Amino acid sequence: MKRKPGLVLILLIIIPVIISGCWDSIELNKLSIISGLGWDINAKTGKVTLTFQSIIPSEIKSAGGSSGDGGQKRGDPLHTIQLDSSTGSSAYDALNRYTQHSSRRTFYQHTQVYVFGRSAAEQGIYPFLDSIARNPINRPNVLMVVAEKKARDTLRVEDGMENIQAIGMAAQIKLSAEYSQYPVVTYLEFANRLISETTAPLAPMVGIIEQAGPEGDRVQKTRISATAVFKRDRMIGQLNEEESRGLLWAINKVKKGFIIIPGANLEIVSAKSKIIPELQDEKIKITITIDEESNLLEYDGHREISSNFLQELEKGQAREIESQVIAAVEKSRTLNADVFGFGEAVHRKYKKEWPVLKARWEEIYPYIEVVVKVKTHVNEIGEINKALIKD
Amino acid sequence: MSGFLFKKLHFKRMSKDIHKKAAGHFNSAVSLSKNLEENLKILREALGSSNDVIIREIKISPHSNVDAAVIYIDGLVDRNLLNHDILQPLMFNLQMIKDNASHNHTSLIDYIKSSVLNVGQITVVHDIDRVIAQVLTGHIAILAEGVSRALLIDAKGWETRRIEEPKNELSVRGSKESFTETLRTNTALLRRKIRDPHLTFQSLQIGERSKTDLSIVYIKGITPENLIEEINQRLQRIDTDTILDVSYIEQFIEDSPNSLFPTVGSSERPDVVVARILEGRAAILLDGSPMALVVPFLFIEGFQNPDDYYARPFFATLVRWIRLLGYLLSIYLPGIFVSLKTFHPELFPTQLLISVAAAREGLPLPVVLEALLMLLLFEILREAGLRMPRSLGQAVSIVGALVIGQAAVSAGLVGAPMVIVIATTAIASFLVIPYADSGTLYRFIMTVAGGLLGLFGIVLVSLEMLSHLASLRSLGVAYLSPVTPLNIRGLRDTFIRAPLWAMDSRPASLDSPDTKRQSSGQMPRPPKSSSQQGDTQ
Repeated sequence: MKRKPGLVLILLIIIPVIISGCWDSIELNKLSIISGLGWDINAKTGKVTLTFQSIIPSEIKSAGGSSGDGGQKRGDPLHTIQLDSSTGSSAYDALNRYTQHSSRRTFYQHTQVYVFGRSAAEQGIYPFLDSIARNPINRPNVLMVVAEKKARDTLRVEDGMENIQAIGMAAQIKLSAEYSQYPVVTYLEFANRLISETTAPLAPMVGIIEQAGPEGDRVQKTRISATAVFKRDRMIGQLNEEESRGLLWAINKVKKGFIIIPGANLEIVSAKSKIIPELQDEKIKITITIDEESNLLEYDGHREISSNFLQELEKGQAREIESQVIAAVEKSRTLNADVFGFGEAVHRKYKKEWPVLKARWEEIYPYIEVVVKVKTHVNEIGEINKALIKD
Repeated sequence: MSGFLFKKLHFKRMSKDIHKKAAGHFNSAVSLSKNLEENLKILREALGSSNDVIIREIKISPHSNVDAAVIYIDGLVDRNLLNHDILQPLMFNLQMIKDNASHNHTSLIDYIKSSVLNVGQITVVHDIDRVIAQVLTGHIAILAEGVSRALLIDAKGWETRRIEEPKNELSVRGSKESFTETLRTNTALLRRKIRDPHLTFQSLQIGERSKTDLSIVYIKGITPENLIEEINQRLQRIDTDTILDVSYIEQFIEDSPNSLFPTVGSSERPDVVVARILEGRAAILLDGSPMALVVPFLFIEGFQNPDDYYARPFFATLVRWIRLLGYLLSIYLPGIFVSLKTFHPELFPTQLLISVAAAREGLPLPVVLEALLMLLLFEILREAGLRMPRSLGQAVSIVGALVIGQAAVSAGLVGAPMVIVIATTAIASFLVIPYADSGTLYRFIMTVAGGLLGLFGIVLVSLEMLSHLASLRSLGVAYLSPVTPLNIRGLRDTFIRAPLWAMDSRPASLDSPDTKRQSSGQMPRPPKSSSQQGDTQ
C-alpha cells in the first residue's frame, strides 16, 4: 500500500492536537482560589493545621449587585470567603487531607498572605518555607505575616472594606509600610534574609482588636502590632512600634510618614540612609547615616517661625530619629539578632575577613559599636508662618 | 496614444486567437467579402437570432443605388447618435451631394468615412471577426455592397450608473466620488486627477466569451517598467471564458493564492488609486466593476486610510496606532482571554480574576466552546445582516443584540466578560477592512490554539503568521516592507504619518525609477517680517 504524503501530514497535525489536548487546562469554575494560607502547629501533638481561606466567586457576584437577586445584606461577615482547615503531620499531609473535604482544586497563584500562628512561628516554620519554595506554583511576592495568636483566627476576621479578607490584610500591611510603621516582607525577602545566615528575618505581626461597631455590637479588626524577629526559622522576639520605626530608618525603608516630637508634628518628605561598616583592629564599628527632609504639619506653641526655630525643630527631629534607631539597636542586641543586616554590610566591604567574622558573628554582634548620624531639614512650614494665637 | 496601443494590442490578441483556433465559435471566414449578402449571412449566423441585434439594410450613394447595411446591438449604442449622425447623413445628406465623387464603391466607403459621418471614432476593418467583436461592445458597423471593408463607429451609449459616493471606503474630508461600472467613466475620473501626458491606460480584452475591457493604469517614468511587464504577463496567462468582476483578476494574478492575506489591493476611490499610482504602483480597471485593483500591495497599506493624509499628521498617527491596536485585538483578544482562563489564571490581576471567576460560576460550557460559540454567533449575525433584504435589517439587529447580549447572559449560558470580549473583537475587526477576512480566520485559529495549548499555542500560531507574512511577496515586493526589510525612510508612512512636506521620496521598496516626489525642505514657516509686526501690535 502506498501512503499519501498529504494524509500523513494531516495525521501529523491532528494527532498532537488530540493526544496533547488540554491536559494542562483548568476551568475557573473548577478552582478554589486561595487568598490566604494559615499555618498553625499544635504545641502538644505537634500536628500541623493548614487553613485555607478561599474566595467564593458566586457570592461576590451577588454582593456586586449585578444580578437581580443582589443587594444581599452583609449580615454574614464572611460570606465571600470560605475558611477550611485541615490537619496532618506535615504541610503536604494536611493538604492531602484537605482534598477529602474540598470540591475544588486549590489554586495558589493569587495567594496574598501566609499567616503563621505564633506558636508555629516560635517552633520554626522551615517545613512550610521549604514546601513553598519547592513548588513553582507559589509566587515569591506573597506577604509574610505572624499572627499574635492562631493563624486560623486571624484569617477569619472580617475586613471592613475589602470583601476578601486576605486582600484587605495585605493592603493593611502595605499601607502601614507606606507610612513607615512596620516593614512589609514578601516571601522572597524573608527567604533572602534566611539565606544570608547572619541576617535575621522579619515579619509584621498582626493581632486582633475589638471595637464598637456601628450598631453597638463588638466588631473585630486586625491590627498590626509589632515586628516579629526571627533567628533562622524561629521567631525569637518582637520589635515594638518605636523600635520598628528605628529599624526602618536604618535599613532605608522609610518613605513617608509622620515624626512626632514634643510640641510639633512633621511629615517625612524624603529619607535616605546608609550603613557604613568599619573594621579596626578586629573591632567593628557601624555608622548609620540618615538624611531626612520633612514638612511642618502641626505646631502647638505660639512662637513665630524663624530660622532659629526651624533649627530647633530639625534638632528635635534628629534626636527623635536617633533615639528610635538606638532603641532598635538595643533591642536587637538583647535578642542577638542582626535585623539590620550589619553582617551583610561587613561582608560586602571586608570580603577577606568575613569568613572568620561570620563564624563568630553571634559573639561579635552584641558588642558592635553603632554610631547614628542624622541630618534633617525642614522644607516647608505650611500656609501660615505666625501662630494663630500669640503669646 | 492609448487608442494606438489599444489597436495594436487588440490586433495582436485577435490574430493570436485566430491562429489558435482557426475554427472558432464563428465561421471560419476571416476577411470580409465584396458581396454584402454573403457578409450579412455570416454576421446573422454569428450574432444569432437575438432580437437586440439590428441589421438595418439601406441604400446609399448619391443615387441611392448601393446596398448597404448598418449593424448594431440595440441598447448598447446611442440612438441619438445613430439616427442623427449616421443614418441621416448616409440616407439623406449623401444624396444632396451633387459632386459625384465616384461610382467606385471602394472609394465611396472612404468618402463616407472622411466626409459624410460627423462622429469621432471611426475605424476601417477588413476581417469579419473584428466586426462581430466590436459590434458586441457597442460599435456600429457599416457594410456596403462591393466593398470588402467595414466602417466601425464607436457609439457606445448605454444606461449607466451615476458617479456616487463611496459606500465602503468612507472619508470625512476627502472627495466624495467613487468608481462606477463604466470603464470610460473610471478612466476619466483618474485622468481628471492627473493631467500628466504620461498617465497611460493600456487596454486589453479579457475573457474568452465575456470579452471584458480592461485597463492597466500607470504613469510612464514613475511606475517601473518591469512591473508593467509582469502585470501584462500575468494577465496574458488568464484563459477563462468570463471575467465578471475585477476580483476574478485578483484571484488569477495574486502571488500567494494559498495565503490568508491579500497580496493585491483594491479600492473604490479614485483619489486612493491616484495616490497609489503616484507612489509607483499600477492599477487595473475592469469594465463593469466599480473597484480598481492596485499592485503591488503591501501589508502596511491595510492600515492606511485616505483620511490619514487629509487630516493633520498628529491625529492621523494616533488613528493609525488605533487601527494597529484594533487589528491586534481582533486577532488575539478571544484567544488570549480563553488561554488565560483555561491555562494561566495567575496572569490575571487578582481583582480581575475574582470578577472573571464570579462571572464564570455555573456556566455549562468550557471556555473554548463558549468563545467559539460566541464567535460563530457573531459571524452568523454579520453574514445575515449583510445578505438580508434591507427591510429586514432591523429584525436582525434586534434579535442579535437581544440573543447575544442579553438573553445568553441572563440565561446563564455565556458569561458577561465573554460577551464583552467578543463584542470588542467584533467591533475592532472592522477597523482594518482589508484584513477583516484574514483576521476572522486567524481569530478562530487563535481561539482554538489558545484553548488547546494556552499562550504557548498562541505564540506558535503567531510565529507561523509572522514568518508567513515575512515570506509573502506582492509582485516581487516584500509584503512587510518597509518594516522588514527595514527601510528607515519608508517608515515615515508606517507607524507614524509624517507631515506631507517631509515625505519627499516615493516608497523605496516599490523601486520607482523616479524616486523623488517633491523637493525637500518645504516645511512651512511664517515670514519673519509678519511675525515682527505681530509683536509690535
